[in-house]
Amino acid sequence: MDTSLRIGARTEGSDIAILSLTGEVEVANAAQVRDAGLKLLSGGRKYLVVDLSGAEYMDSTGLGTLVGLHKRLRESGGEVVIAGAQPRVRRIFDITGLTQVFRMHEDLSAALKEVRG
Amino acid sequence: MRTKAPEQVEIRIPRRPEFVRVARMAACAVACQMDFTIDIIKDIELAVGEACANAVEHVRIGDDTTDDILVRFILGQDQLALEVMDRGQGFDLEQAGKSAADDWDEPGGLGLFVIRALMDELHVDCDPATGTCVRMVKRRQT
Repeated sequence: MDTSLRIGARTEGSDIAILSLTGEVEVANAAQVRDAGLKLLSGGRKYLVVDLSGAEYMDSTGLGTLVGLHKRLRESGGEVVIAGAQPRVRRIFDITGLTQVFRMHEDLSAALKEVRG
Repeated sequence: MRTKAPEQVEIRIPRRPEFVRVARMAACAVACQMDFTIDIIKDIELAVGEACANAVEHVRIGDDTTDDILVRFILGQDQLALEVMDRGQGFDLEQAGKSAADDWDEPGGLGLFVIRALMDELHVDCDPATGTCVRMVKRRQT
Protein backbone atom coordinates (compact mmCIF):
# COMPACT_ATOMS: atom_id res chain seq x y z
CA MET A 1 0.00 0.00 0.00
CA ASP A 2 1.38 3.36 -1.04
CA THR A 3 1.18 5.90 1.77
CA SER A 4 2.23 9.00 -0.13
CA LEU A 5 -1.31 9.49 -1.41
CA ARG A 6 -4.59 9.71 0.46
CA ILE A 7 -7.70 9.05 -1.58
CA GLY A 8 -11.09 10.34 -0.49
CA ALA A 9 -14.25 9.26 -2.26
CA ARG A 10 -17.85 10.34 -1.90
CA THR A 11 -20.93 10.76 -4.01
CA GLU A 12 -23.56 13.45 -4.34
CA GLY A 13 -26.90 12.39 -5.68
CA SER A 14 -27.12 9.95 -8.55
CA ASP A 15 -24.90 11.82 -11.03
CA ILE A 16 -21.88 13.20 -9.20
CA ALA A 17 -18.88 11.50 -7.66
CA ILE A 18 -16.02 13.31 -5.92
CA LEU A 19 -12.50 11.95 -5.73
CA SER A 20 -10.10 13.83 -3.46
CA LEU A 21 -6.40 13.20 -3.98
CA THR A 22 -4.02 14.41 -1.27
CA GLY A 23 -0.27 13.98 -1.58
CA GLU A 24 1.59 12.64 -4.61
CA VAL A 25 -0.19 11.16 -7.62
CA GLU A 26 2.39 9.18 -9.52
CA VAL A 27 3.42 5.95 -11.16
CA ALA A 28 3.46 4.06 -7.85
CA ASN A 29 -0.16 4.76 -6.99
CA ALA A 30 -1.92 5.58 -10.28
CA ALA A 31 -3.60 2.17 -10.24
CA GLN A 32 -5.15 2.96 -6.85
CA VAL A 33 -6.55 6.19 -8.28
CA ARG A 34 -7.95 4.36 -11.30
CA ASP A 35 -9.57 1.70 -9.10
CA ALA A 36 -11.08 4.29 -6.76
CA GLY A 37 -12.44 6.24 -9.73
CA LEU A 38 -13.91 3.18 -11.40
CA LYS A 39 -15.55 2.10 -8.15
CA LEU A 40 -17.17 5.52 -7.76
CA LEU A 41 -18.47 5.41 -11.32
CA SER A 42 -19.82 1.89 -11.12
CA GLY A 43 -23.28 3.20 -10.23
CA GLY A 44 -23.57 4.95 -13.58
CA ARG A 45 -22.65 8.43 -12.40
CA LYS A 46 -21.94 11.00 -15.13
CA TYR A 47 -19.52 13.39 -13.46
CA LEU A 48 -16.33 12.68 -11.60
CA VAL A 49 -15.05 15.80 -9.86
CA VAL A 50 -11.38 15.32 -8.97
CA ASP A 51 -10.34 17.58 -6.10
CA LEU A 52 -6.62 18.22 -6.44
CA SER A 53 -6.37 20.99 -3.83
CA GLY A 54 -4.28 18.71 -1.62
CA ALA A 55 -2.18 17.21 -4.41
CA GLU A 56 1.46 18.32 -4.27
CA TYR A 57 2.81 16.34 -7.21
CA MET A 58 1.44 14.64 -10.28
CA ASP A 59 3.29 12.85 -13.04
CA SER A 60 2.12 11.86 -16.49
CA THR A 61 1.07 8.41 -15.31
CA GLY A 62 -1.29 9.99 -12.80
CA LEU A 63 -2.49 12.35 -15.49
CA GLY A 64 -3.02 9.44 -17.87
CA THR A 65 -5.23 7.79 -15.28
CA LEU A 66 -7.49 10.84 -15.20
CA VAL A 67 -7.55 10.85 -19.01
CA GLY A 68 -8.63 7.20 -18.98
CA LEU A 69 -11.48 7.94 -16.58
CA HIS A 70 -12.49 10.95 -18.65
CA LYS A 71 -12.57 8.88 -21.81
CA ARG A 72 -14.77 6.30 -20.12
CA LEU A 73 -17.22 8.97 -18.95
CA ARG A 74 -17.31 10.70 -22.31
CA GLU A 75 -18.68 7.52 -23.85
CA SER A 76 -21.77 7.95 -21.69
CA GLY A 77 -22.05 11.74 -21.99
CA GLY A 78 -20.23 12.55 -18.77
CA GLU A 79 -16.79 13.88 -17.93
CA VAL A 80 -14.04 14.32 -15.39
CA VAL A 81 -13.91 17.84 -13.97
CA ILE A 82 -10.77 19.10 -12.22
CA ALA A 83 -10.94 21.26 -9.08
CA GLY A 84 -8.34 23.15 -7.08
CA ALA A 85 -5.15 22.17 -8.90
CA GLN A 86 -2.23 24.01 -7.28
CA PRO A 87 0.40 25.64 -9.52
CA ARG A 88 2.86 22.71 -9.48
CA VAL A 89 0.15 20.28 -10.49
CA ARG A 90 -1.55 22.70 -12.82
CA ARG A 91 1.76 22.97 -14.68
CA ILE A 92 1.61 19.42 -16.01
CA PHE A 93 -1.92 20.01 -17.31
CA ASP A 94 -0.62 23.14 -19.06
CA ILE A 95 2.45 21.42 -20.52
CA THR A 96 0.45 18.55 -21.96
CA GLY A 97 -2.35 20.72 -23.28
CA LEU A 98 -4.91 18.90 -21.17
CA THR A 99 -6.38 22.17 -19.95
CA GLN A 100 -8.13 22.04 -23.33
CA VAL A 101 -9.58 18.64 -22.56
CA PHE A 102 -10.65 18.98 -18.91
CA ARG A 103 -12.78 21.69 -17.42
CA MET A 104 -10.60 23.20 -14.69
CA HIS A 105 -12.03 25.03 -11.66
CA GLU A 106 -10.43 27.08 -8.91
CA ASP A 107 -11.89 24.95 -6.15
CA LEU A 108 -14.30 22.17 -5.37
CA SER A 109 -17.29 24.41 -4.72
CA ALA A 110 -16.93 26.07 -8.14
CA ALA A 111 -16.65 22.69 -9.84
CA LEU A 112 -19.68 21.31 -8.03
CA LYS A 113 -21.68 24.42 -8.84
CA GLU A 114 -21.01 23.86 -12.52
CA VAL A 115 -21.79 20.15 -12.67
CA ARG A 116 -24.94 20.57 -10.59
CA GLY A 117 -26.08 22.91 -13.35
CA MET B 1 44.22 26.82 -16.24
CA ARG B 2 42.68 23.39 -15.87
CA THR B 3 38.93 23.14 -15.91
CA LYS B 4 37.53 21.32 -12.92
CA ALA B 5 35.98 17.97 -13.87
CA PRO B 6 32.24 17.81 -13.26
CA GLU B 7 31.21 16.09 -10.06
CA GLN B 8 28.93 13.12 -10.39
CA VAL B 9 26.35 11.44 -8.24
CA GLU B 10 24.95 8.03 -9.10
CA ILE B 11 22.15 6.04 -7.57
CA ARG B 12 20.65 2.71 -8.50
CA ILE B 13 17.02 1.94 -7.84
CA PRO B 14 15.09 -1.27 -8.38
CA ARG B 15 13.04 -1.16 -11.57
CA ARG B 16 9.78 -0.86 -9.68
CA PRO B 17 7.27 2.02 -9.38
CA GLU B 18 7.64 2.46 -5.64
CA PHE B 19 11.31 3.38 -6.03
CA VAL B 20 10.80 6.16 -8.59
CA ARG B 21 10.19 8.51 -5.67
CA VAL B 22 13.69 7.79 -4.37
CA ALA B 23 15.19 8.99 -7.65
CA ARG B 24 13.01 12.11 -7.52
CA MET B 25 14.19 12.92 -4.00
CA ALA B 26 17.79 12.49 -5.08
CA ALA B 27 17.20 14.80 -8.04
CA CYS B 28 15.87 17.50 -5.71
CA ALA B 29 18.84 17.12 -3.37
CA VAL B 30 21.37 17.34 -6.21
CA ALA B 31 19.63 20.24 -7.94
CA CYS B 32 19.65 22.15 -4.65
CA GLN B 33 23.47 22.08 -4.77
CA MET B 34 23.40 24.11 -7.96
CA ASP B 35 21.41 27.14 -6.91
CA PHE B 36 18.50 26.46 -9.23
CA THR B 37 15.28 28.20 -8.27
CA ILE B 38 12.68 26.13 -6.49
CA ASP B 39 10.53 26.06 -9.63
CA ILE B 40 13.43 24.67 -11.69
CA ILE B 41 14.25 22.13 -8.98
CA LYS B 42 10.65 20.91 -9.12
CA ASP B 43 10.86 20.72 -12.92
CA ILE B 44 14.01 18.60 -12.64
CA GLU B 45 12.30 16.37 -10.08
CA LEU B 46 9.38 15.83 -12.44
CA ALA B 47 11.67 15.15 -15.41
CA VAL B 48 13.65 12.52 -13.48
CA GLY B 49 10.41 10.98 -12.24
CA GLU B 50 9.12 10.76 -15.80
CA ALA B 51 12.30 9.17 -17.11
CA CYS B 52 12.32 6.57 -14.32
CA ALA B 53 8.59 5.91 -14.78
CA ASN B 54 9.28 5.28 -18.47
CA ALA B 55 11.92 2.73 -17.52
CA VAL B 56 9.48 1.04 -15.16
CA GLU B 57 6.47 1.13 -17.45
CA HIS B 58 8.05 0.15 -20.75
CA VAL B 59 9.03 -3.31 -19.69
CA ARG B 60 8.82 -5.57 -22.71
CA ILE B 61 8.74 -9.30 -23.12
CA GLY B 62 12.24 -10.55 -22.57
CA ASP B 63 13.28 -7.66 -20.31
CA ASP B 64 14.76 -8.60 -16.99
CA THR B 65 12.49 -6.82 -14.51
CA THR B 66 14.94 -7.49 -11.70
CA ASP B 67 17.34 -5.03 -13.34
CA ASP B 68 18.14 -1.77 -11.66
CA ILE B 69 17.73 1.70 -13.07
CA LEU B 70 20.90 3.76 -12.92
CA VAL B 71 20.42 7.49 -12.44
CA ARG B 72 23.50 9.64 -12.94
CA PHE B 73 23.71 13.33 -12.14
CA ILE B 74 26.61 15.26 -13.67
CA LEU B 75 27.07 18.64 -12.02
CA GLY B 76 28.72 20.97 -14.50
CA GLN B 77 29.62 24.59 -13.97
CA ASP B 78 26.67 25.87 -15.92
CA GLN B 79 24.40 22.89 -16.25
CA LEU B 80 23.10 19.75 -14.64
CA ALA B 81 23.08 16.70 -16.91
CA LEU B 82 21.04 13.67 -15.93
CA GLU B 83 21.14 10.19 -17.34
CA VAL B 84 18.56 7.52 -16.64
CA MET B 85 19.65 4.13 -17.87
CA ASP B 86 18.09 0.71 -17.87
CA ARG B 87 18.72 -2.47 -19.74
CA GLY B 88 15.24 -2.67 -21.22
CA GLN B 89 14.48 -2.57 -24.91
CA GLY B 90 13.10 0.93 -24.76
CA PHE B 91 9.95 2.38 -26.22
CA ASP B 92 8.40 3.78 -29.35
CA LEU B 93 10.01 7.18 -29.86
CA GLU B 94 7.45 8.14 -32.49
CA GLN B 95 4.64 7.74 -29.97
CA ALA B 96 6.61 9.31 -27.11
CA GLY B 97 6.79 13.01 -28.05
CA LYS B 98 3.11 13.64 -28.76
CA SER B 99 1.12 15.99 -26.61
CA ALA B 100 -1.97 14.72 -24.89
CA ALA B 101 -4.18 17.34 -26.47
CA ASP B 102 -3.22 16.05 -29.91
CA ASP B 103 -4.43 12.59 -29.09
CA TRP B 104 -5.91 12.70 -25.64
CA ASP B 105 -7.51 9.31 -25.70
CA GLU B 106 -4.07 7.71 -26.08
CA PRO B 107 -2.16 9.18 -23.16
CA GLY B 108 0.73 6.71 -23.23
CA GLY B 109 4.11 8.19 -24.01
CA LEU B 110 3.45 11.52 -22.35
CA GLY B 111 6.55 11.20 -20.21
CA LEU B 112 9.06 12.19 -22.88
CA PHE B 113 6.81 14.98 -24.05
CA VAL B 114 6.82 16.38 -20.51
CA ILE B 115 10.60 16.02 -20.17
CA ARG B 116 11.13 17.83 -23.45
CA ALA B 117 9.00 20.71 -22.20
CA LEU B 118 10.80 20.96 -18.87
CA MET B 119 14.44 20.50 -19.82
CA ASP B 120 16.81 22.31 -22.18
CA GLU B 121 18.05 19.16 -23.92
CA LEU B 122 16.74 15.63 -24.28
CA HIS B 123 18.41 12.68 -26.02
CA VAL B 124 17.13 9.14 -26.01
CA ASP B 125 19.16 6.14 -27.11
CA CYS B 126 17.38 2.82 -27.38
CA ASP B 127 19.52 -0.19 -28.19
CA PRO B 128 18.10 -3.69 -27.74
CA ALA B 129 21.61 -4.94 -26.97
CA THR B 130 22.59 -2.45 -24.30
CA GLY B 131 19.34 -0.87 -23.11
CA THR B 132 17.90 2.60 -23.01
CA CYS B 133 19.52 5.85 -21.92
CA VAL B 134 17.52 9.02 -21.45
CA ARG B 135 19.91 11.96 -21.17
CA MET B 136 18.67 15.41 -20.30
CA VAL B 137 20.25 18.72 -19.47
CA LYS B 138 19.13 21.73 -17.49
CA ARG B 139 21.25 24.81 -17.89
CA ARG B 140 21.68 27.30 -15.11
CA GLN B 141 20.31 30.72 -15.96
CA THR B 142 22.94 33.42 -15.72
